[in-house]
Amino acid sequence: MTLTHSKVSNWQNFLAKSQRKISVGLLTIVLLIFTLVVIVPFIWMLLMSFRTTGEILSDPYGLPKTLDLTNYIKLMFDPEIHFYTYFVNSIHVTLFSLILTVALSTLGGYGFGRSRYEFKFRGWLFALLLFALMLPPQIMYLPQFTMMGKYGLLNTRWSLVLLYTASALPVSTYLMATYFSQLPSELEDAARIDGCTDLGMFWRVMLPLTRPAIATVVLINFLNFWNELLLAITMVTNPEMRTLPAAMMMFVGEHGSDYAIAAASLVTAMLPVLVLYLFLSDKFIEGLTAGALKG
Amino acid sequence: MSQIAIHQEGQQNLRIQARKGKRKPLGPIILFIAPVMIFYAAFVLYPLIATLYYSVHTVEPVQGKLVTTFVGLENFKSLLSDDIFFLSVKNTLLWAIAGPVVEMLTATTLAFLVYFKTPLHRFYRVAWFTPMLVSGVIVGLVFRWIFNYDWGLLNSTLRAIGLDQFALNWLGRRDTPIWVVIFVHYWATFGYSFILLLAGLTAIPEELLDAAKVDGANTLQAVWRVMLPLLRPTFLTVLILSFMGKMRAFHVVWVLTSGGPMHFSETVATYVQKRAFGWRTLDLGYPSAIAVFWFGVVMIGVALLNRWLRSRMD
Repeated sequence: MTLTHSKVSNWQNFLAKSQRKISVGLLTIVLLIFTLVVIVPFIWMLLMSFRTTGEILSDPYGLPKTLDLTNYIKLMFDPEIHFYTYFVNSIHVTLFSLILTVALSTLGGYGFGRSRYEFKFRGWLFALLLFALMLPPQIMYLPQFTMMGKYGLLNTRWSLVLLYTASALPVSTYLMATYFSQLPSELEDAARIDGCTDLGMFWRVMLPLTRPAIATVVLINFLNFWNELLLAITMVTNPEMRTLPAAMMMFVGEHGSDYAIAAASLVTAMLPVLVLYLFLSDKFIEGLTAGALKG
Repeated sequence: MSQIAIHQEGQQNLRIQARKGKRKPLGPIILFIAPVMIFYAAFVLYPLIATLYYSVHTVEPVQGKLVTTFVGLENFKSLLSDDIFFLSVKNTLLWAIAGPVVEMLTATTLAFLVYFKTPLHRFYRVAWFTPMLVSGVIVGLVFRWIFNYDWGLLNSTLRAIGLDQFALNWLGRRDTPIWVVIFVHYWATFGYSFILLLAGLTAIPEELLDAAKVDGANTLQAVWRVMLPLLRPTFLTVLILSFMGKMRAFHVVWVLTSGGPMHFSETVATYVQKRAFGWRTLDLGYPSAIAVFWFGVVMIGVALLNRWLRSRMD
């Protein structure tokens, strides 16, 4: 390389370099414009949430004149909007679904992942579980609806907790099983000699080692549970039980003309995820990658 | 010494036991595996089978009770003469073919640029992934406003730079809405494909790239001859995920257009929802038949993609 370089005259070298600089510059401009298209909707939403609907309609571009929090205050405290109720509902559904998912998928992952528990049809059962990754929700949700009706769970948060957990189990159990299967079996042997039962082995020795995998399971499912709409509008029609995504949809329909308040509600609904993402962006990206590439 | 020896022997015995599986710990197996499988059977397998059952019945509520009447293949026959159904199939297929192709091409290019550390690559990586985190509802609503005819961001921009004739009623015509849906869904999901492809690239050992360069290949040749072929398994995953995502997507369409106007952006997912709950026909049999048919199409599509890409891999 150095030899050929020395043969090139300085002038040519300079030309090549500047040409390279120009093309890198052009590329950067193109990428920045692309990135602008990606980010602008967020910024616009944020700006809208600090203005009034009148201002938005007359001048869609304008910047907020002051940092006016009226929309947010109205959103939180106006009893007609019920935003607070929806927020709590979303937290409730997400939290309990996460707890149930983690409990079931760690147990299952341990049973499916360790060679100690191998039995004849285990592989077959595991394949059956993973089969669900191919299923679109449309192929299940109508009977799920009648089932919830039968047991009187329609219009309750529990219907969503149960169904969200069910939808999360295949990929979560898979992630846990792969992680458990990589732990050395010497750990189990040692625990056994110390007189541990299988459950004690799982709870005291193995489970604490799988924290990174549990974190991944929690992150990817948190996103799905927090953002889900189809089941949320199907199982719950009572306004008081609505979760945020369902509420925002109805909200914009009912208060259709008040775009400013609507924008504030979108920003508020997005905030928990975005704040987490700011702090844990690598963990998010890693987790979602693992969920897809392994699952 | 002897204690250690006994310990080791004991360990070995245990391991042999475990491998031969002579004493299967049946209790623990049930304890660990049964909860997941029971939950799964109750809330996934049973509804799946029930949908198959519903699809050959009419399922109507009569005085608070669900009455199912066997109708054979009647539901599937009616599908054949349902124009809205055909329109929704056409739209969804268009989306599921155009979407993944555009996504693969752009996401691969972007992944390579970031992989070769184009200036600001760290910023891009975080920024491009952000739309993935946002609920389809939020995405749908914001873009409903952006594409608003009167005051939307797009039309105000077009008018500001004097391109008034291009300031269309994007969501209210017969030809543009489905493309708006495709674009918005692309906006929301390309970051995912990008991240997956980038992960695939990072997994390629650097030695291979260096080896290619030692053999006299320039970067472009190394990308073309060495990296792209090694990336094929990732392509397969991303393509199948993207395809399935479009075939089942509901949130964005439902919020953005609800399939309208006049069903011009109807997709199978929104049509099932409308037939089940929106139209007050109260029959769950017909939408189940749509879902069953559609599930068949998705399975065939995935199988074909799988075969096509695998055959090209060898």
